[in-house]
Amino acid sequence: MDSQQGALSWRLSAHPLTLGFFLAFRLASIFTYLFGLWFSSNFILIFIIVILLLAADFYYCKNIAGRRLVGLRWWNETNPETGEQTWVFESADETRQINATDSRFFWLTIYVVPLLWVFLAIIAIVRFEFIWLSLVVIAVILCATNGVAFSRADKFGNASSLAGSALNSSGGGAVRRFAGNMATRMFFSGGR
Amino acid sequence: MASSSNINPYDNYESSRIEDVIDPDDLNVDDDDPLEATSATTPLNPTHLTSAIPGEDRRAPNNTLDESIWDTLSRDVFAVWEKMKAVLWPKFTFKKWPDANDVLESGGGFGNGGGRGAAVIGDWDLWGPLVFCLALSTLLSFSASDSQTTQVFAGVFSMVWIGEAVVTAQIKLLGGNISFFQSVSVIGYTLFPVVICALLSALHIPAIARVPVYAALYLWSLAAGVSILGGSGVVRNRVGLAVFPLGIFYGGLVCLCLVS
Repeated sequence: MDSQQGALSWRLSAHPLTLGFFLAFRLASIFTYLFGLWFSSNFILIFIIVILLLAADFYYCKNIAGRRLVGLRWWNETNPETGEQTWVFESADETRQINATDSRFFWLTIYVVPLLWVFLAIIAIVRFEFIWLSLVVIAVILCATNGVAFSRADKFGNASSLAGSALNSSGGGAVRRFAGNMATRMFFSGGR
Repeated sequence: MASSSNINPYDNYESSRIEDVIDPDDLNVDDDDPLEATSATTPLNPTHLTSAIPGEDRRAPNNTLDESIWDTLSRDVFAVWEKMKAVLWPKFTFKKWPDANDVLESGGGFGNGGGRGAAVIGDWDLWGPLVFCLALSTLLSFSASDSQTTQVFAGVFSMVWIGEAVVTAQIKLLGGNISFFQSVSVIGYTLFPVVICALLSALHIPAIARVPVYAALYLWSLAAGVSILGGSGVVRNRVGLAVFPLGIFYGGLVCLCLVS
């Protein structure tokens, strides 16, 4: 990925509308939090607007922006009989071209925004504004959930496609299956 | 094996046959591959990625990456409506008080036996809790005096979330197998009747009319909560113990509506 290909430029994006909405939701919640009280003295109104923006951002990032920009999707299932949690991931196969600009915008935003909220949380603690702190804590939880889940989906997708390419490069039939099985074991038994 | 006289020899014969099964020569290798059972059907599980957060990783069975935005939205709106339906028409209507078995069966605890309750618990989302919590806090802050609006809003908002967390913790401590967010989701959706209480309070209906109406709405909430959440796999004779904090939670919120 050279710098020209993945430059943070609007015109290089493959899904400019998706990317625009994604950045808009993410930044709008922060800006409303920071500057909302300049325009309205109504605490409740600002609080509700920020919460709704955060919720919309969470949903949009998880269900729409993620799969369009980087071809990833995650959700969490709970087994009703044991209560065990399972993370379920979808990742695009290798035939799908992920636009480098989209991908860079996406990952940059998804990691930087939670850090910004953590920073704002520290400020809120220092200034003893605990009502606002509750809002920032919600923001940190929502953004960090998306960040962790998407990075996990990315790693999972990479690991699967690595195993998949080892599987495809060897011959067909039983040999292929055996090789795939061995590859799976070699790659994934390490941390067990 | 021969020395153990009380075992039926035919049983042994059967079991040894199963172990030594011989494949016919023309069998396709892909049909009955012993390796397949451990590689293709079980999920890829890179456990070293999952050290920080619990839960195993699994690949999705279906591909929804290329669906349209409309599909995504309509599916989720439909899922929200399904949950609202379970709240609007609760299974237990308090004409006949459900016993512990009914309550346990209705919850998500027992997969296929659960029916509607299990389906509703299964795909949780936090839209209901979020919207109803905001609505409740806003409506109650309308009826508060001007100097107290912010405090009432923040107080009710945090009370709802802390209450949901406490009720969930109670169910989990009693051995219920329900995830935190599933429980919060269900409790959030069942706040709908309490929101109606808050709306009536914001409209300043007279105090005499409040008591019977609010009592009915309180029972509605409780009926919806119990019939969806059920015991969620709590041990049988502790169902009441798992459900009563739910009653206290709704009761507290309804009392807030009553006095405001």
